[in-house]
Amino acid sequence: MKRLHVVLLLALIFSCLALVQTSYESRRLFDETNRARNELARLDAEAQRLEAERQAQATHLRVEKLAREKLAMRTVTPAVTHFVVDAAAEAGK
Amino acid sequence: MIAARRRVPSAVSARSLAYASSPLLASKTPPWRSRFLVVMVALGFLALLGRAVYVQIVASDFYLAQGERRFVHTYDVPASRGRIIDRNGLILATSVASNTVYLNLKQYSATPQQRRELLRLLGMSGTEFDERLDTRLTEVVLKRQLGDDAWRQIRALGVKGLRAEPGYTRSYPEGEAAAHVVGFTDIRERGQEGVELAFEKDLEGRDGQRGIMRDGVGRVIDDYIEAIDPEHGREIQLSIDTKVQFFAYQRVRDAVLEHKAKAGSAVVIDVVTGEVLALANYPSYQPAQRGSLNRGQFSDAARNRALTDVFEPGSVMKPFVAAWALESRRVRPNTVINTSSFSVGGKPIRDTHPHDAMTVAEIIQRSSNIGAARLAMQMEPRELWELYSNVGFGQRPQIEFPGAVSGRLRPYKNWKPVDQSRLAFGYGLSASLLQMARAYTVFARDGEIVPVTMLRQEQPVQGVRVLSPQVARDVRKMLQLVTETGGTATRAQALGYSVGGKTGTAYAQDGADYAGNKYRAWFVGMAPMTQPRVVVAVMIDQPSVGGHFGGDVAAPVFSQVVQQTLRLLGVPPDLEVRRQIVAESVAQAAPDPAGGR
Repeated sequence: MKRLHVVLLLALIFSCLALVQTSYESRRLFDETNRARNELARLDAEAQRLEAERQAQATHLRVEKLAREKLAMRTVTPAVTHFVVDAAAEAGK
Repeated sequence: MIAARRRVPSAVSARSLAYASSPLLASKTPPWRSRFLVVMVALGFLALLGRAVYVQIVASDFYLAQGERRFVHTYDVPASRGRIIDRNGLILATSVASNTVYLNLKQYSATPQQRRELLRLLGMSGTEFDERLDTRLTEVVLKRQLGDDAWRQIRALGVKGLRAEPGYTRSYPEGEAAAHVVGFTDIRERGQEGVELAFEKDLEGRDGQRGIMRDGVGRVIDDYIEAIDPEHGREIQLSIDTKVQFFAYQRVRDAVLEHKAKAGSAVVIDVVTGEVLALANYPSYQPAQRGSLNRGQFSDAARNRALTDVFEPGSVMKPFVAAWALESRRVRPNTVINTSSFSVGGKPIRDTHPHDAMTVAEIIQRSSNIGAARLAMQMEPRELWELYSNVGFGQRPQIEFPGAVSGRLRPYKNWKPVDQSRLAFGYGLSASLLQMARAYTVFARDGEIVPVTMLRQEQPVQGVRVLSPQVARDVRKMLQLVTETGGTATRAQALGYSVGGKTGTAYAQDGADYAGNKYRAWFVGMAPMTQPRVVVAVMIDQPSVGGHFGGDVAAPVFSQVVQQTLRLLGVPPDLEVRRQIVAESVAQAAPDPAGGR
């Protein structure tokens, strides 16, 4: 009987320690997921911002201005476009 | 010895307890002292027990709440506002993370060096900063909508008393070109204008909430309540094509500057789907930097003239009168009409280039007021009213946009004969540019008027029949004549595409009267004429240099916008084009009538 009590007591102590360890581990992991989630949100927001910025740098207004002023390009008109007939598409009609 | 030891306590027991066997250590303590101590200790334990009962049972709620306050932290998770994108998925408006920076004046302390750096990062002047601090409040907002990078740098400075609250700022990559369509939000991200206002319900999100527990070192260890995820706003896809929008904006801007005009607008409608491909106004503004304009400048720049400004459509109405005269079989395109000057109700009707007689087609081509009035006077007032009303005049356009006006079309019962004659050439009623563009879809769609929309529409849309297909085609031929030699708008011709349309010029209204020297010029047309794909309407307000007629001022804008739009939509040219791929002639790629016609 006495031995059983000792075994049970040891088991209890072990279980308590395991519980402490597990809850510590779970809290640590929770903190980690939380950080990861915050990082995700931050990166998402950053991606949004960069995408908007990229587009703001490449608006038609800006591209056109640079093309005209720096590269001396001009707008395409049908007069300077060579239209070709797609033979395969024509044959398929 | 034993006997003696036993004897000693018994000898003293009457007065005190013996605590030691050695007589030297035996103090003569009175028994009440020990009892007193016992009682005091017991009372102490009782007090502790009582306190424990109080804390655990009586006031447990209070203490639990106090405990929670120390390790539980509840906060809102801001939802981001939905994006607005164009038909090809390019961003027109999006929310980017930003911070509102607060300064606690009681805690604030900074070295001159820190202060200088802080001002630089905030983009503020010293006086501006001092003005903010000159208050009785303990905490002030230093800066709204500060980017994450700048905030990280500010935090690294180590200035005491600063904190930031995360939030979102609206960013408008297309800037001024699409400002009137997209609109803007206030500092709380609520829509104030344009699509931002029209779709506020869809765009706004719902903030989430989280309750978390922290341990002693501030790490998040668990959820305290079930987290409510934020519901982000819905994405709105518009029918606008940023490229077409840009071209329209650019051409209108250039025309306004070239003719030293007050303002200008252009609308491009896809006649197959009823989608508005572009809606541009000049002057415009940068939605994100509108704070730099004063109130007067801003209200001028923010006006969505294409939708909110109404004016008398003038000659643009003549094709409708001609169409109805054809539809009701009163005339045929080549019927000759007497166009010598005549009076209605004592008021003479005149033409700028009078002729004695013209065919119906010539009346449109040369924009004869007399001819149009003669045709209209053959009709019942009700017929004309119904026609105008069927093509959308006097009615608010069914478009998802704030501020779209209905214009004015008086009930026919109040018309006098002079009113009816003037209505034939577009006076006595008012309409917005969008209404005119939409009305012209009747001719472009073989007699059907389409509902217009600002939202992306995949499928062709069902129209409402107003005219028979043959009549619409006949009128289209007349509209094409307008842009050919002998018409009023030869400068509307587009390279490679057949076009047709109608010019309009009217005195701009100055208060209740007409201003003698101020004009409004416009052109509404379509292309390609064999099977129209787009209707483009252009309006230039008060041009002062280089002519004031619709054919001189608005038609060239129409030509360029049409050309680029059709090219972008992949519509093959329907006219032969003289090749200009030789480098020298490319420099002069102006429309050449001899080239294709």
